[in-house]
Amino acid sequence: MPIAATYSEEELVMLLKQQSRDAFNYLYRQYSAVLYGIVNKVVYDEQIAQDVLQEVFVKIWHNIPQYNPEKGRIYTWMINIARNAAIDKLRSKGEIMKSKIQTGEDVVNNVHVGMKTEQSTDTIGLKKIVSELKPEYQTIVNLAYFKGYTLDEISKTLEIPLGTVKTRMRSAINLLRQKFNN
Amino acid sequence: MNIQEYIESGILEAYILGALSTEEHAEVAANIAMYPELIAEIAAIEAAMQKFAESNAEQPPVHMEEQIWQVLSKDNQAQTPLTDHRPQAKAIVLPRQAHDVQWQRAAIWIALVGSLATNYILWNQKSQSDQQVALSRSQADSMQVQHQKLTATVASFQKVKDMMADTSMQTIVMQTVIKDKPMAATIYWSKAKGDTYLMVDKMPMPPAGKQYQMWMIKDGKPVDMGVIPNDMIASVNGMNKLPMLATGSQAFAISLEKEGGNPTPTQVCVLGKVAAI
Repeated sequence: MPIAATYSEEELVMLLKQQSRDAFNYLYRQYSAVLYGIVNKVVYDEQIAQDVLQEVFVKIWHNIPQYNPEKGRIYTWMINIARNAAIDKLRSKGEIMKSKIQTGEDVVNNVHVGMKTEQSTDTIGLKKIVSELKPEYQTIVNLAYFKGYTLDEISKTLEIPLGTVKTRMRSAINLLRQKFNN
Repeated sequence: MNIQEYIESGILEAYILGALSTEEHAEVAANIAMYPELIAEIAAIEAAMQKFAESNAEQPPVHMEEQIWQVLSKDNQAQTPLTDHRPQAKAIVLPRQAHDVQWQRAAIWIALVGSLATNYILWNQKSQSDQQVALSRSQADSMQVQHQKLTATVASFQKVKDMMADTSMQTIVMQTVIKDKPMAATIYWSKAKGDTYLMVDKMPMPPAGKQYQMWMIKDGKPVDMGVIPNDMIASVNGMNKLPMLATGSQAFAISLEKEGGNPTPTQVCVLGKVAAI
């Protein structure tokens, strides 16, 4: 299959099954920033995030024959692989945020993180939309999406009833849906 | 089932965010299969979460692309060896001085055809068994992946159980101590185990060359709990487990210090006392 600028979901699956360098280049160019962004947000450590990103690509590469389009979009499938791999990492070694509060020298290294990050205008726009969410909405979405918390855990941690967690989750995502659509 | 109520309950959002227990997750999946009305809603939530994921996009370091390709291409080679294992057809030398040429030719042809046929059958069997090996290898791989997932799930259940059992989890809101400068952060602290989680509610980014530093007050004295990286301040409302256990703490505080921190706090920003239970 010749390499095009963009592919439909079905074409992408076929391309990935070829396991060629071109297929990898396309996959990486198209999705590495989103996947890395997720992983980084979960593990909060650049080195660990890079290790996990590599794991994520290996998993995508090897498991593409098992991907079933009936169970959802390949984009969602890849995002979930990234989230699960990162959250597993977080839990496996009790590595929960050992990097969160660091010694001075680590912090100096960290200063550069922000500068290295290239962002398209598109991303900045999306970021702005998310930042406009009420803090209590952001917390719930962040805990579930990036830290793998269940409803029970969120309810327990934030000391709000389970039902409230669910309805806030819905309101938060509803707002995102409205704003993203505009 | 009232579809609209079900949608409004927020359970579909929790499903997409992965915040349901295994049983609940299976239940929702079954409902989606049963009620096609839910599919459009699920797709819309998924699309929103994709945008949400994109809003956090970050370019990985440049060297990663080549590094990952090296790993993948090595794996690819290991899986499909390039050497040809097919049996080779043997050359048969024709004897020059044959008396009964016709008879000999016939024998040679029979031998040749027989040899080719055998080779073909052997090669066929070989490629069939190759396929089977590849198939069982990929089955074993996917079973291993499933096994890892299950192990992770069990571990996470264990964690939830531990957290549930921990009745001593206390919330300490740290309020600003600087007049006309509203700031706040929250500590979730397990008195029994010393586990401490920090959530930044509202703190401005520190000026250049400065950083926030975390403290606990024990026996009336501040104890250093480490410097807080700036990206943590930027990620408002993230829940962050602190690496140091806090035992016997009477209060928690955050101060503004020079980059890298100070041995004692110089400018305290927020302070929250532990309520006596």
